[in-house]
Amino acid sequence: MDLVIALSPLLAVGFGGLMLMLAEAFGKPSEEGISKTTGDVVDAGAGRGAELGLGASVVLIAGAVMAVGVWIVGPETLEGVADVAPYLLIDRFSLFFTFVLCLGGAFTALLGGGYLPEHRIDRSEFFPLVLFSTFGAIALAMSGDLLSLFVGLETMSLGVYCLIGLRRGSARATEAALKYFLLGSFAAALTLFGAALLYGATGHTDLVGIGEAVATIGQPDSTVAAMPVLLALALTLAGLGFKVAAVPFHQWTPDAYEGAPTPATAFMAAVVKTAAFAILLRVLLVGFGEERLMSWGTGWPPVIATLAVLSMTVGNVVAGRQESVKRMLAYSSIAHAGVALVGVAATIRSTEDATASVLFYLLVYTVSTAGAFGALILCGSRGAEAVSYEDLAGIAKRHPAAALAFSLFLLSLAGFPPTAGFFGKLYVFQSAIDSELYVLVIIGLVNSLIGAYYYVRVMVYMYMREPVPGAPVAKPMSSGMVTSAIVLAALLVLGLGILPGVSLDMAIAAAARGG
Amino acid sequence: MGMDGLFSIFPPEDFTLLCVILGLPLLGAFVNGVFGKRLGKEAVSLMALVAVGGSFMASCAAFFMLMQRQTETEAARFVWHGWKWLDISGNGDFQIPIEIAFSVDALSGGMALIVTGVGFLIHLYSTEYMAEDDGFHRFFAYLNLFIFSMLVLILGDNLPVLFIGWEGVGMCSYLLIGFWFTEEANAVAGKKAFVTNRIGDFGLLVAMALLVWHVGALDWQGIEAGANNLLTPIKIYPLGNGVPAWLPDFIRGPLTPEDPRGVRVTAATLVGFALFLGCAGKSAQLPLYVWLPDAMAGPTPVSALIHAATMVTAGVYLCCRMAAVFVLSPATMATIAIVGLATALLAASIAFAQNDIKKVLAYSTVSQLGYMFIGIGVGAFATGFFHVITHAFFKACLFLGAGSVIHAMHARIHDVDRSQDMRNMGGMRNFMPITHLTFLASCLAIAGLPLTSGFFSKDEILFKAYTSTIATPQVSDGEWIDRSTQVTWPAMQAWTPPEDLGRWIYTLALLGAVMTAFYMFRLYFRVFWGEFRGWTIVRGWVAPAGGHHGHDDHEHDSDEPLDGPKPHESALQITVPLVVLGVLAIFAGGLNAHAFFHSHLFDDWVAPVLATASSSVGEIEGAKEMMMPLLLPGIGAFAIGVGGAYWVYVMQRGEPAASFVEKVPWLHRIVYEKWRVDELYEETFIGAVDTLGDMAVWVDQYVVDAVVARVTSFAVAASGTILRTMQTGRVHAYGAVMVAGLGALGWFFIAPQAVVTVLADDDSGVYSVTASPGLGYQYRWDEDGDGELDSDDFGDKARVDVQLGRSEVRLVQVEVKNALGFRSIEQIGLFRPQRDGASDGLAGAAQEAKEAADSAAKSQKALQDIQRVLQQAGGNLPGAGKQPAPKPVGGAP
Repeated sequence: MDLVIALSPLLAVGFGGLMLMLAEAFGKPSEEGISKTTGDVVDAGAGRGAELGLGASVVLIAGAVMAVGVWIVGPETLEGVADVAPYLLIDRFSLFFTFVLCLGGAFTALLGGGYLPEHRIDRSEFFPLVLFSTFGAIALAMSGDLLSLFVGLETMSLGVYCLIGLRRGSARATEAALKYFLLGSFAAALTLFGAALLYGATGHTDLVGIGEAVATIGQPDSTVAAMPVLLALALTLAGLGFKVAAVPFHQWTPDAYEGAPTPATAFMAAVVKTAAFAILLRVLLVGFGEERLMSWGTGWPPVIATLAVLSMTVGNVVAGRQESVKRMLAYSSIAHAGVALVGVAATIRSTEDATASVLFYLLVYTVSTAGAFGALILCGSRGAEAVSYEDLAGIAKRHPAAALAFSLFLLSLAGFPPTAGFFGKLYVFQSAIDSELYVLVIIGLVNSLIGAYYYVRVMVYMYMREPVPGAPVAKPMSSGMVTSAIVLAALLVLGLGILPGVSLDMAIAAAARGG
Repeated sequence: MGMDGLFSIFPPEDFTLLCVILGLPLLGAFVNGVFGKRLGKEAVSLMALVAVGGSFMASCAAFFMLMQRQTETEAARFVWHGWKWLDISGNGDFQIPIEIAFSVDALSGGMALIVTGVGFLIHLYSTEYMAEDDGFHRFFAYLNLFIFSMLVLILGDNLPVLFIGWEGVGMCSYLLIGFWFTEEANAVAGKKAFVTNRIGDFGLLVAMALLVWHVGALDWQGIEAGANNLLTPIKIYPLGNGVPAWLPDFIRGPLTPEDPRGVRVTAATLVGFALFLGCAGKSAQLPLYVWLPDAMAGPTPVSALIHAATMVTAGVYLCCRMAAVFVLSPATMATIAIVGLATALLAASIAFAQNDIKKVLAYSTVSQLGYMFIGIGVGAFATGFFHVITHAFFKACLFLGAGSVIHAMHARIHDVDRSQDMRNMGGMRNFMPITHLTFLASCLAIAGLPLTSGFFSKDEILFKAYTSTIATPQVSDGEWIDRSTQVTWPAMQAWTPPEDLGRWIYTLALLGAVMTAFYMFRLYFRVFWGEFRGWTIVRGWVAPAGGHHGHDDHEHDSDEPLDGPKPHESALQITVPLVVLGVLAIFAGGLNAHAFFHSHLFDDWVAPVLATASSSVGEIEGAKEMMMPLLLPGIGAFAIGVGGAYWVYVMQRGEPAASFVEKVPWLHRIVYEKWRVDELYEETFIGAVDTLGDMAVWVDQYVVDAVVARVTSFAVAASGTILRTMQTGRVHAYGAVMVAGLGALGWFFIAPQAVVTVLADDDSGVYSVTASPGLGYQYRWDEDGDGELDSDDFGDKARVDVQLGRSEVRLVQVEVKNALGFRSIEQIGLFRPQRDGASDGLAGAAQEAKEAADSAAKSQKALQDIQRVLQQAGGNLPGAGKQPAPKPVGGAP
């Protein structure tokens, strides 16, 4: 029973996905909805986007609530937890991530429930896919073993490949899906190869065992060779760097983000990235947390720091050159991955504080970016999508609420107080300063300035520009589900910005038990 | 039972009643702001009234609970701690936690009563006054939000929370000034209020920073407890310590810290001035008063509530709050009193010549605020604060009465400007008896008719100005050494004000009292007495050319009534608040009637809160006996002012004023145009800012745009373009980049990384050199610096300790071999300084030496470089600079 309670978030999402799939398979297509919302495709369950989206979001919010419940009960007190370790580790670290991932998934489901019917791609497989993908993401965040890691990674990714290609008729979407699939498989292969090397070198697949085996290297009676471990580290970093979209493993991002339906883009930016960071932290701190591998000169921290600098700089510089807001947000997500990597590099000295800062940053980023994509969805409707800056010109006059919400999320992404984004950046840079990574902090701050430019630029267009006469302008859609997602995200953005204490304390508790 | 029951629900240390007081107006603002449009006017009014009324009742409950707990000597204080907001680093190695916390004591409790009580009356009034307005719900949402912000300001338990409220009321004020934002003038007025207040807020922020540094606290109790730390001298001139040697002597001289012309003040003076700058902005004192008269462009209830009764007195409230800080600096106190006096006189003189009924009241408000600051400046905090309360009653009543008149006029004229012009009024007492009586009551109170509230509060201020003295604080006992420059300063004395300052203030403030009585009754007689002059003006009426700009009463040639409704008394929602406030304006003085009734309820009530501050305030000999002699001139001032107004405007029907204007038109003109202060600011400050702006534009255009921006934008654009060309869209190109990235990662782990940290201890001469550990790494060393590695075999020794003699230089080498057998050599230059005492500086030299070795890497040249650096450092030992000892970089946690 203990085990069921401990696994309840994961089980809820999994069963919810199955139920939804059944409901979809046996459900009748909505009569009046078909022609209006699904275009030429008539599947079972087509045109039921609103209902299924609501169902999926309820399931995911239930998952988040269960994660909170297990947190309150205390995973240490549940005895059955040891039975599934190390394949699934139920600790505060994974519970924190479970909560964030469910939240991100719920945003996606709500956005999808409004977006898909509006844009006539109301095909109901979207929602079970979101649930299964989130299931994989949670399993990934929970895994403490290379086998479950890989299974979780693939479960998550397969769903996302399909989500990207949801718009079947569109060459662009198909291309994006295929690209992500090919490169993703490549990255997965790298990870798998790294795992194989690790198993070969250490004889372990569980991260704790690997960590212990690596620690014996250099001792006279050690049977573990250093070189395979180092190569495995490089391969794992490349594989996970792909999932978090760190430069130079980022190039799929803009294409995939742009080609995918916007809710799926939000899913990739929020859920996939967060889950990848979860496992990245776990692998680096547990599997490669050995003193010599965490040293500044010769371990992974300088590599992570380099990836962070590259991601922030390339992400921000190129984002500033984009004309499409969606593509801009894609590059901005690369830059944000860079900031989170700064926090990962900062684990070098103040391990727990830095881990906590990454956790908090991911929570903040999930909320802000889901909100931003939500606002982008809200600003457009079928035939009048919000794509470029020009589309958004003067939208504040026509639809002040949509513009206000968008501005709030942009300010949070840019890191202005009193939004959540400010404290997210603040804590990451603070822990980097504690670890004496001053250069990294300075580069981060300069990048924040560059970032502010293109975020504020959107606001300038919304509030201060008039649309060119005759040019197409975005016309906001009306959807209760999208609105409620935005309101929820806005409350969280402001709440986390005004009251960062509670969630930060939780992040610290999670870091203390998980790292 | 009742009180005990209340105390069991709301214990003083967790006083959640404050959440009710604060929460209701916020709820009202939320409901009206979000749903107001759909709710309809009745529901909006009900919501707004219930919110403020409920808050008022809760404030009353809190007030009675305070009365129950407060004793003569000990102040009662109820606190509610919300949550920790943030930590600020203090001066030294400790954190100052800033809480979202609220507290209520005698001072804030009284103020909260005024804000919610008067606020409620004005809300009630507004339900009728704004009934026709399209933005009804928006108006009430703002008004409720204002009440909430004002309560945050008052009840906040520390300066940052107060600052939130401070900014909040400011924001509501701008929103309400610009409520009819379609009108250009209102938008401009809102902007002006915004800019002026920013200057004041800057002062408040500076004060907070200084308090954090010198006192180490920002909450009221902490500031009061640590206020004496502010009695430290601070050098304010010359600034800084380092003076470039190449400057000519006549410039260098005054800039050196040893210069005898150096100026010092106490930290208390700096904090006091900064705080007062903030208060002067919010409470419209010289030189920042210019926004308030323009702010009356907003709806009249807003003028009554925000720009007369509550928000503008926030500065006075803050002064009382921080009284313990202000009394430590006699210079600040004297400045406050003089600024208050100057403001009071200047504003009163402007009020003489205005024709707009609201303008007169606006300048009267500025003038009365000046009186409050006179009270603060002479150390009569309780009296100054009492004037805040009486002023809230009579000035709110005056504004609301004026609103009632304007409302009646507007129904006839339909023109905002003309329905506020006194020249179109007259005889209103026949049409509006209740408005007339309440207006008269308030006029009498502000002019200081004996036994009215204004008499007791204003004349008490005058009395205190004459008799109070501020004790000179003891600043420093003896010589004092500046920590950073090591320069010794002589003992410092605090500035003492001249002895007859009090007498001057008294005399001039008396003059102001005459002026107040005169201009108020000029207003009263012209509006309510005589004949109604508005008959000729009706809807669609166009002024004959030039007529509109005439400065006097030549517009009523015909008394023939034209079409249009007669002015009539306003509805009950307007008259009830008027009556309540009018009664209070007459009788509230009884709370603190020292002069005739020896009643000092109010003084006793706030005395425990102000105890610390009051201990520094004394009075001259024989002050008690002077009360009556000093009071009589005050009564005389009232009689002269009112009598003069009666003679000029009733008996002579304004003829003396008209002929005076004809004789010295320039004087009238300049007073009418408000002494041209706005124009002066326009020419000087704004002109200077404009010039600065022009220069900035020039620099921007020809330096930044032409050179800097081109270069950077080219660099960014070029890199962006290059990176974009890499974004080809071809999947195999992406794959190739990934492989390249993986290759770089792999290369990093395969290549040996020789990274070294040095821990220097110059005193013992032991330098430990540590090579960064790596998986499968082995090391061999050259410890003795002979250029040859000591052993042919690699070992596990990752750290060597080198012992150096004085002034010894050594080049240590380490070779690293990794698991694949790749090798790398690193050289480290070490140097031990010649003598002790300069260890700081020379550790820096060792650091420099190491850096030189790093940069010249792996050749004999490194040795030469080290020697050169060391010679420079050695030859100039004391000037080697203050570099901290090198800290280890990297290493495992």
